Amino acid sequence: MKYRYILFALFAIFLFGYSLKTNAQSGQELVDICNIIADDATYLKDFQVKLDAAKPGEEKPSSRFSVVLSKNTIYRFSICNSKDYPGKAIVQLYDNNRLLGSNYIVATGKNYPSFDFQCQSTGVYHIFIDFKEGEQGLAVALLSFVKKF
Amino acid sequence: MIKRLIYIFILTLIFASCKNDKKADGDFSTEFNVPDSVIYEGDLEISESAMDEIVQNISSPVEMAALIKSLGVPFSKDYLATTDYIDNYDTNFKKALGLGIFGADLGYLNMYNKTGSVIDYISAIKTLADGIRVGQFFDFTTLKRLATNNQNLDSLMYISVQNFNQMDRYLRENNRSNLSSLIVAGVWIEGMYLVGEVARKSPSAELSEKIGEQKIILSNLMILLNNYEKDPKFKELIEDLEEIQKLFKNVIITYEKGEPEAVEEDGMLVIKQNDKQFIEISDEIRNKIINKTADVRNKIIQL
Repeated sequence: MKYRYILFALFAIFLFGYSLKTNAQSGQELVDICNIIADDATYLKDFQVKLDAAKPGEEKPSSRFSVVLSKNTIYRFSICNSKDYPGKAIVQLYDNNRLLGSNYIVATGKNYPSFDFQCQSTGVYHIFIDFKEGEQGLAVALLSFVKKF
Repeated sequence: MIKRLIYIFILTLIFASCKNDKKADGDFSTEFNVPDSVIYEGDLEISESAMDEIVQNISSPVEMAALIKSLGVPFSKDYLATTDYIDNYDTNFKKALGLGIFGADLGYLNMYNKTGSVIDYISAIKTLADGIRVGQFFDFTTLKRLATNNQNLDSLMYISVQNFNQMDRYLRENNRSNLSSLIVAGVWIEGMYLVGEVARKSPSAELSEKIGEQKIILSNLMILLNNYEKDPKFKELIEDLEEIQKLFKNVIITYEKGEPEAVEEDGMLVIKQNDKQFIEISDEIRNKIINKTADVRNKIIQL
């Protein structure tokens, strides 16, 4: 009888673990959520990032993506973080040699779920994504088209 | 009794370990067998891993179509590539290029909510995508339902663009960046053709500038394609595009750098670039670029 209880306990743990696994948020779910955050903007690209926590004494891990953006166009960058990881994504937008902006304003400590970029020069831009304080994280940055201006 | 329970438990474990564990990040790379014939094995100028870092969004059907629509130019089906000869796209090279061309046309149709014609194009795209074994990423059933019911047009655009991105990602992650590059090239050529044909009928400063700025975009596209120049079919396409690139040498682009600023408008963070970019393109050069692009595009769709 005692063995039976142990077996059922093991079986219950196995099933519980399985159900937790299936509830984990996927990159695709984050893309769909981000598209809702982007509101009436039209989806163009998504950048999915999963990074480990920074190791002591080392730089924060980050991912880089390069995109072509067009002149006289407003683009929206929407950022969605997975609830399964502690990290909050910081998205930085660069042109060839300088930082143009970020969803995280250091001076105020404010983190924005999205930002609009008024592009005035057609060319290649670089998107750097890392996680605040080098925490482990999974996030999606979604690029969408707002309008021509 | 105990023995029976142990057997059941072991069987359950075996069954669970064999379950279809679709990766959370949507990576289907191990789920489909890809024959060797569609994996590019030639010498590459840039490694496949470096290709992952190549510039994205080189050509966007959404942006091209949005520009045309924002100018108040009426829709014309005459600009679109016909789907009647889909069987003529009989090699992986042609299929990938055709996917890009029909993808750009689908963006144009979606932008104008022309759902009646969308079904022909999504059917053609599905056929070509299956042909290069990426059809699993193209949600034909949902797209057809949305188009047929003329409902949720935003979803139609969202799903179709996202499906193209998934195909592109899968190809790049599976040593098939050659096909991904061809799709990008097809989208660019067709988008450029659409803008050119609209500019021919309804010239405007905005369209001339849009054509001129393609000098920057074409140079990025050529970096992608030159990686496969040892393949004779690629070489031919590269040579055709080089003809357009030669014309672009007469387009002058200058810059005036400004100081970027971040402001909050109605609770939304807005980043203003404050740069200026000047694009000089004569009517003569613009017309030559339009004509040459039409030649290259028509050569592809005649197959």
